[in-house]
Amino acid sequence: MSSDGAGQGAVTGMADRSEPESRTDDDPERSGATDGAETVIESRDLDVFYGDEQALRGIDLTIPEHRVTALIGPSGCGKSTFLRSINRMNDLIDVARVEGDLLFRGKNVYDEDVDPVALRRKIGMVFQKPNPFPKSIRDNVAYGLEVQGKTDDIDERIHTALERAALIDEVEDRLDESGLDLSGGQQQRLCIARAIATDPEVLLMDEPASALDPVATSKVEDLVEELAQEYTVVIVTHNMQQAARISDKTAVFLTGGELVEAGDTNEIFENPEHDRVEDYITGKFG
Amino acid sequence: MAGGTAEPAEPPESAGMTGTEEVSRLRGTLFEAVTLGATVFGLLMVGVLLLYVVNDAVRPLSADPGWHLVFFLTLVVPSLSVAAYCYTREGPAGEVAYATFGLPVVGLLVGAGIVVVFLEVVSVADWFGLALALVAAAGAIELHRRLRPYAALERLAVLIVAPLVAIFGVPALSVDRTLATPLTGTELFTLSFSTPKLLPGVPELFTSLPVLPLDWLLLVVSLTLPVAFAFGRIVSRRREDDRGRLETVAAAGAVALVGALVAPTVGIDAAHWVVLATTTLLPLGVYLEGVVRERAGLAGLWFPVVVVAGTLVGALVVETVGFAGPDPWLDWGFLTSATSRSPADAGIYPALVGSILMLVVIVVSAFPVGVGAAIYLEEYAPNSGPLGTFVTLVEINIGNLAGVPSVVYGLLGLAIFVRTFDLGNGTVIVGGFTVGLLILPIVIISAQEAIRAVPDSLRQASYGMGATQWQTIRNVVLPRALPGTLTGTILALGRAIGETAPLLMIGAAASVRTPPNGFFSRFSAMPRQIYSWSSEIQPEFRYGVLAAGVVTLLVVLLMMNGTAILIRNKYQRES
Repeated sequence: MSSDGAGQGAVTGMADRSEPESRTDDDPERSGATDGAETVIESRDLDVFYGDEQALRGIDLTIPEHRVTALIGPSGCGKSTFLRSINRMNDLIDVARVEGDLLFRGKNVYDEDVDPVALRRKIGMVFQKPNPFPKSIRDNVAYGLEVQGKTDDIDERIHTALERAALIDEVEDRLDESGLDLSGGQQQRLCIARAIATDPEVLLMDEPASALDPVATSKVEDLVEELAQEYTVVIVTHNMQQAARISDKTAVFLTGGELVEAGDTNEIFENPEHDRVEDYITGKFG
Repeated sequence: MAGGTAEPAEPPESAGMTGTEEVSRLRGTLFEAVTLGATVFGLLMVGVLLLYVVNDAVRPLSADPGWHLVFFLTLVVPSLSVAAYCYTREGPAGEVAYATFGLPVVGLLVGAGIVVVFLEVVSVADWFGLALALVAAAGAIELHRRLRPYAALERLAVLIVAPLVAIFGVPALSVDRTLATPLTGTELFTLSFSTPKLLPGVPELFTSLPVLPLDWLLLVVSLTLPVAFAFGRIVSRRREDDRGRLETVAAAGAVALVGALVAPTVGIDAAHWVVLATTTLLPLGVYLEGVVRERAGLAGLWFPVVVVAGTLVGALVVETVGFAGPDPWLDWGFLTSATSRSPADAGIYPALVGSILMLVVIVVSAFPVGVGAAIYLEEYAPNSGPLGTFVTLVEINIGNLAGVPSVVYGLLGLAIFVRTFDLGNGTVIVGGFTVGLLILPIVIISAQEAIRAVPDSLRQASYGMGATQWQTIRNVVLPRALPGTLTGTILALGRAIGETAPLLMIGAAASVRTPPNGFFSRFSAMPRQIYSWSSEIQPEFRYGVLAAGVVTLLVVLLMMNGTAILIRNKYQRES
């Protein structure tokens, strides 16, 4: 398949990229990573069905550690389905069925002995529409910590999470107000703070900026780049410029639930292998 | 005609209007008129009936015309004009007028209910012991949470055992039971043992103290101060300082204490005063504090003043001039006395207490079961597969159960609770369980609706954070679904309080002279009492006493539905 060897391709173009170069300098773990960061998530011939309908067909993809991987493609191409099958959110849909392997740190997450709750504690998620709980800002961030029993130093953890989500300046004096009183962009950053408060290894983001205005979008984008220093980020987006700006690796899904091409972002955007990908990226369809 | 006034604006369009369009428009108008007519007809019918019943119950025409005129001039005209002024002139004033008048009325009714419970069901000392036990249990649970924060299973055990031990202690246990095969009656084995009483419960310990504090003092500690603490939280939040709570508690305590010392001198029982002050003065005071501090709608405060002053002045004038007032069937005596052979002495008090106690049983039994079933059906039950089909079948039949005639439920109650479990013929607990079964489908369906209305995005957010299903249900789904569930349950309780047929089947007494003094004593409820009045020979029973009973029942019903509407409105404003 076209995505073979994409893991290596993801980082070959790293040095050329202008914005995130500072990252490689101050992260010792990644200094030797020019030949490929460690693979965190790997799918092998992954099929997902909703009842009789096949949503994903034989997906092979690797997701490198401490990088931003973007999944792009037109509506209904299965990119969100792929994202949601990583942390087994598809389990919540009765008719969903998964075949093939999806490895997280070498362990198939669909094995019998994997507890989806434990898995989701390692893989955080941010949704398309900001969905803070109808609770105070503090309780929103505390929620994950409480359900996971990480209640020591809870105030400090909340503060740190809000800080890392670049929200602390705006909400510091009103932590007891309802999370629903925030603006849309602030709500989404609150959801990001909520997701990173528990220190997951991977952060899945399902079109996190699609419901936001341009200013809020750019804040979230900056934040995603920041977060890639500590987390592996997988982001689904409709917006190709956004994928080009913030991601290190891009996977293009096209209609029918197929992964057409995956590789280094610059490569995909400047010199895609497939004509269909080029047509999509240049806006001829989708 | 509405069409006539709209005509002038239309000429440019109607120039090209064809015949069919005109016919279509006419049809629409006709249809609107028919639906309006149906609505008005239904309302009119109920309205006429209510007017008749209220007229029979209150008998306003038995008063002198002068009496009506006096009160019309001193009470109706001034209070209506103040109300009209408040609603038209200033926005918040209308609401203030409404609240300052309504709060004390509702507070007095709630307080009267509590006083009745203390008079008939539990003594104040027992109640205090129970409160102490609950506090001790809460303390034990909290202590366990602090000491062993991660032992979830253990905490579940503590959650169940601690309140039980605190309330009941470790009672003596004696079992003597023979187990036999059901058909042949062969004895299998006999289980017989008894354990001595190890530990008395907290209420028992408390009531066995040699000297008990006075009732009203116990009530101040166990009722006034906690309620004041809760209200103080509102004050604190509104003023955004921490002193509000302390001040509220102090003020409430002072009013209760001083009043309790003064009340006996004017013939009011000190304990009753404490209860009534807690339910009436405390909410009113907290509300007034907010109004006065924000200086919004102060004009509304005149409304209760005008009402009270008008009543007093009117009463004074009527007294001096000598106009005779009406002689209603529905009066204080009716509400506080038992039924009697003579219509003039007949009252509804025992049936009223019976209805309230029955409601308590219904709430305690039907609410947890109904909400539990709804949670299972909505959150746990599978939607597909053979089990899914079964669940769908169950859901459809819960809807059917809601439509089963109440007589059938009465029969079921008779068979299960009276005959099989031997809970007694016509006791409060049997009545409550039976009517609880009757409203169970309604509670389940309304709880299901409320749970279904919780946005899926919130569940997903919770699961995405690594919450278990139980954590998601407890922290996200239930709090969000609670107001809707409560509204539905209260409306269902409104139906429960008016049910008559099941009470007939389980043998609730036609009329009782003393109110039930516990859940296992025989009782009569309001609809049952009304039904037996309807077959009395004397016409005064059928036209007067019965109407007074119906009005009492309807007022209780209206209060419950009003509470449901308040809860719903509050919830809608918040979300």
